[in-house]
Amino acid sequence: MTGEPDLSTPAVSAWRVWLPAVLMTAVAVIQIVLATTADISAWKGGGFGMFATIDGPSTRRVRVLVEGHGRSGELGIARSQQILEKRVRLFPSDVFLRSLAKAVSERETRVGRPVKAVTIEVWRADYNEKLEGTDRPLRTFTLNVDQKAYDAR
Amino acid sequence: MWIKKLTTPASDPRAASLVLRLTVIILLLRPMGPWWIGPFLLAVAVLALVFPRVLFAPGTWFGLAFLTVVRIIEDWPLADNHIYLLAYWCLAIGLALGSRNAISVLGRSSRLLIGLAFLFAVIWKVVLSPDYLDGRFFRATYLTETRFENITLFVGGLTPDQLAESREYLRPLPEGSVRAEVPRLHDTPSFTALVYFSTWATVLLEALCGFFFLFPFRNRSSIVPHVLLLLFCVTTYAVATVPGFGWLLLTMGLASVDAENRRLRTAYLLAWLLVLAYFVMVWTGYFIDRVDHQLLGT
Repeated sequence: MTGEPDLSTPAVSAWRVWLPAVLMTAVAVIQIVLATTADISAWKGGGFGMFATIDGPSTRRVRVLVEGHGRSGELGIARSQQILEKRVRLFPSDVFLRSLAKAVSERETRVGRPVKAVTIEVWRADYNEKLEGTDRPLRTFTLNVDQKAYDAR
Repeated sequence: MWIKKLTTPASDPRAASLVLRLTVIILLLRPMGPWWIGPFLLAVAVLALVFPRVLFAPGTWFGLAFLTVVRIIEDWPLADNHIYLLAYWCLAIGLALGSRNAISVLGRSSRLLIGLAFLFAVIWKVVLSPDYLDGRFFRATYLTETRFENITLFVGGLTPDQLAESREYLRPLPEGSVRAEVPRLHDTPSFTALVYFSTWATVLLEALCGFFFLFPFRNRSSIVPHVLLLLFCVTTYAVATVPGFGWLLLTMGLASVDAENRRLRTAYLLAWLLVLAYFVMVWTGYFIDRVDHQLLGT
């Protein structure tokens, strides 16, 4: 007798079999909830919804609109913001939208073009039975840059 | 004691050697993660491939599972679904190696993970997706995704001009706007057949794989899930360019086969190599070239 438990008993082995499956199920259920309530793309997030719907990475797009003194307009996505943009496109949560808006604001300030507000729009293409596509807004988020900080710049 | 548990398997895992080696080869073939994770994943994979002691240590697999989870969290939710499956699989291997019946635990884990992956894929296609069962998904995908272009031209029988015009048709318009000149959505009988075959064959095969792996039979029909999985992998990954997913499913399928069943193990290994061949060789491009040569008389 060594005093150690016999790990070969079915009860002890069962959790070793079930733990990965339980984790997988939990993540997949969370992804399904997020997809139905918070617009995460079916293709991402561990729910195994890839190749199930047209609503994927290529049918969503992100627009970045800025407003500053004497200017307003749309900006392209900077190289340094591409990962953030992809995150926003596939899961337009407030956290990711705010991160991208802040990154845009900070970058504009660094290059000497401070902004008052940054608006992030996430669009999604919907296709009807005839495959006629319509672009419709999925989420819109506006970050108003602190005015005092803006004036100080 | 913990160090011993993490570095020494609790039973003889040599029968799982091939499965473990194929798993680390997947990590080496598809490096992933940012610079502060990727090199560690690769280093552990190389050490596991070279040193059996590292390969069979439960701690190696817990470490790989941990690094894979960190990679998923680092740019969440951008990781593909098979990266999640890889993390669960590495965890399953670590847990199996720590048990006194490693081979049995690994086999049962692999069946559960394969079954669940297919179950969720089917739930998405049948219950949650609004545009899968009516064929819209595959029709739009074959027409817009460049990676399926060769299939659309070769099997679907569309010409490059028809494909270009259909792509223009599929370009979404802003809400409320109307095109002055409407491009045409082209179709051929063989393209329609391709769309409906892909739609129904995929979901049926996935549903059957899910069912048979989650509810395995213990008699002669126990070969059925393996035949279905092999069929799914050799057909799907010939078209879909996600070899990592194919290798992982085949490796997990192999783990669920009895060590004595040499024929089935060989079939899995051959299918694994076939997916590797798909990965390095764009076979659909070869057929397109042949068609072009015939048309040009060269």
